[in-house]
Amino acid sequence: MEAQNDQILKDCAPFVRFGKLDELLDLGRANSLWPLTFGLACCAIEMMAAGASRFDLARFGAEVFRPSPRQADVMIVAGTINKKMAAAVKTLYDQMPEPKWVIAMGNCAISGGPFVFPGQYAVVEGVDKLFPVDVYIPGCPPRPEALIEGLLKLEEKLTGKRRWPVVKPE
Amino acid sequence: MAAPVFPPLPGPDLLSLCSFPLEVADYALKGYHLNAIVSPDQVLNAAADLDRAGLALDTITGVDWLVEGQMEVVYDYFHPNTGLRAVVRTKVPRANPVLPSISQVFPGANWHERETHDFFGIEFAGHPNLAPFLLPEDATYHPLRKDFIA
Amino acid sequence: MIANEEQASALVRQAPQETFVLNLGPQHPATHGVLRVKLTMDGEFITRAEPVCGYIHRMQEKMGENRPYAQFLPNTSRIDYLSAMTYTHAFVGAVERAAKIQVPPRAEYIRVLTSELNRISSHLVWWGAFLLDLGGFTPLLYAFDDREKILDLLEGITGARLTYAYFRIGGLYNDVDDAFLTGTRAFVQHMRPRLKMYRELVTENIILRKRLDGIGPISREMCRKYGATGPVIRGSGVPYDVRKCESYSAYSDFDFEIPCYREGDSMARYLVRLEEIAQSLRIIEQAMDKLPAGPVMAEKVPRVLKLPAGDYCYAVEAARGRFMVRLVSDNKEIPYRVKLRTPCLSNLSLFEEASQGMLLPDALALMGSLDLVIPDIDR
Repeated sequence: MEAQNDQILKDCAPFVRFGKLDELLDLGRANSLWPLTFGLACCAIEMMAAGASRFDLARFGAEVFRPSPRQADVMIVAGTINKKMAAAVKTLYDQMPEPKWVIAMGNCAISGGPFVFPGQYAVVEGVDKLFPVDVYIPGCPPRPEALIEGLLKLEEKLTGKRRWPVVKPE
Repeated sequence: MAAPVFPPLPGPDLLSLCSFPLEVADYALKGYHLNAIVSPDQVLNAAADLDRAGLALDTITGVDWLVEGQMEVVYDYFHPNTGLRAVVRTKVPRANPVLPSISQVFPGANWHERETHDFFGIEFAGHPNLAPFLLPEDATYHPLRKDFIA
Repeated sequence: MIANEEQASALVRQAPQETFVLNLGPQHPATHGVLRVKLTMDGEFITRAEPVCGYIHRMQEKMGENRPYAQFLPNTSRIDYLSAMTYTHAFVGAVERAAKIQVPPRAEYIRVLTSELNRISSHLVWWGAFLLDLGGFTPLLYAFDDREKILDLLEGITGARLTYAYFRIGGLYNDVDDAFLTGTRAFVQHMRPRLKMYRELVTENIILRKRLDGIGPISREMCRKYGATGPVIRGSGVPYDVRKCESYSAYSDFDFEIPCYREGDSMARYLVRLEEIAQSLRIIEQAMDKLPAGPVMAEKVPRVLKLPAGDYCYAVEAARGRFMVRLVSDNKEIPYRVKLRTPCLSNLSLFEEASQGMLLPDALALMGSLDLVIPDIDR
């Protein structure tokens, strides 16, 4: 009986897979991360370039930027967070339904960026002062390839596996 | 590659049109053609004269001269047809900086005056809404003052 | 109980006219950054639109007061990141004017060349984003594709894609190479047919014409009263362009036209910007043909730069209008005051008056045609 079951499994293997539902859900989420359009400043342009024709986030399932936080999975904070804006950012984060992730794109979102100086009065030094961040992408602004790498890192965090091989510099 | 020094104004001469003294400045060094220093109560008349001459308001700059105890407000004007640039300056005491608002003459001054008020605390009498513009709505500090501590 | 039609009409006539407040932004796909507009609406019509700024205020003017002149250069790129070269040009121009530093001709020509390339890339982003606001997604992809070619060229000489700090006080830090010049020529050849395609695909599209013709008229007098410059004033019939009126750098050596349309509606501003791309291509070709040989950096630029006391200004024609830097110096290494006169502040200030009584989608078309970059307003 055991041997017969094993044989059936081996025959089905090319077209039937078995797995845990959690892993399947994680794979689904990772392959279709829908970002919230949250471009604040210069990094927003690189985010738009990442979604445009050359760098094409659509390959990774992430090209549908949702303006509404209720429909978004990942908030890509691209730009400087101001003290005046901080309340709005927190509201948007709270409005996103679980599961949600945050990518801090650019130096301003990581730690305030070039706008931190002794005596500064308007900039929140990093978005992780407001809520937890999953992936940090340094750069001022980071290249669109860096944003794609950040998304792949987030996918790796979700699924435990990396979808594409790491490109080795020549 | 020389810049034009003094483009002619179409119509009557600008110097005779204004009720306040305008002196010619060195454009190549300073970047403007005409300069005037007026007292705070002449600011509104200066704006009206330049409006009648067809100039537009470029910007309003505040400068905090802490050591002299004064705040300088610089009004930049330009003529959209010829590019003529005129600058009107005035100084107010730092302890009580009040100036008449020119937003009735130039509606564009509304935001410039709000910004100057935000950064320096200069009161513009007659301004319809001197609420914070670039700072948070409840801000009471004036960051570009030289004695501002964050 | 409403018995008949007469009673119903009477009830409707008595109903109070209510307006409600709708908040547009600060997070909104069509405000091009963090702009909040408090709209008082009467149904679909706007009775009052009050822009609220300051959500991306990054203390640029304060930062100018606590670092030496050369260290302010990265800030200049980030004020309006889409036409970053022109903003750096204004700042270094102001310092050079005050310190009487003579920039070598080759550096001036390359400054013009790269500024015009930057202007084209800025107008392409505006074009794509504007059409995205109006509901067409495809032109954005075409525009960004062309823009990537410009970014490749500029990355080769400056090292950056968006926020270049290419100009230095006294010239440039890096000369252009042959790869850049051949690539730019190829780009100019590539771009002209693309402009023709954009005209056929988008500009002559009946939907766009219906969305933009006659929408958001801005008169010459309104432009003058609010100090609007750039394509806004040129779309209202006044050919005011800092490159011609206060000719700076090497612009007086080139032959180009200032596109100007009389109607003052959103379509006029749209056509002005597309025509400016064509004129920029002309300037680029002339700059490459006449590029003089020589150094790209002035010889005696002091390491520690102190400007004589007084105030100095320098204005450039950025992609969005007139950008002016006013430096107030008290003869120290650090400027006393750096004032940035940005075009988008003046351009947006007329939105409140110009959008009264408009339908909301039309008001968004008007705002898109003003071409705003919000960090330019908030600095």
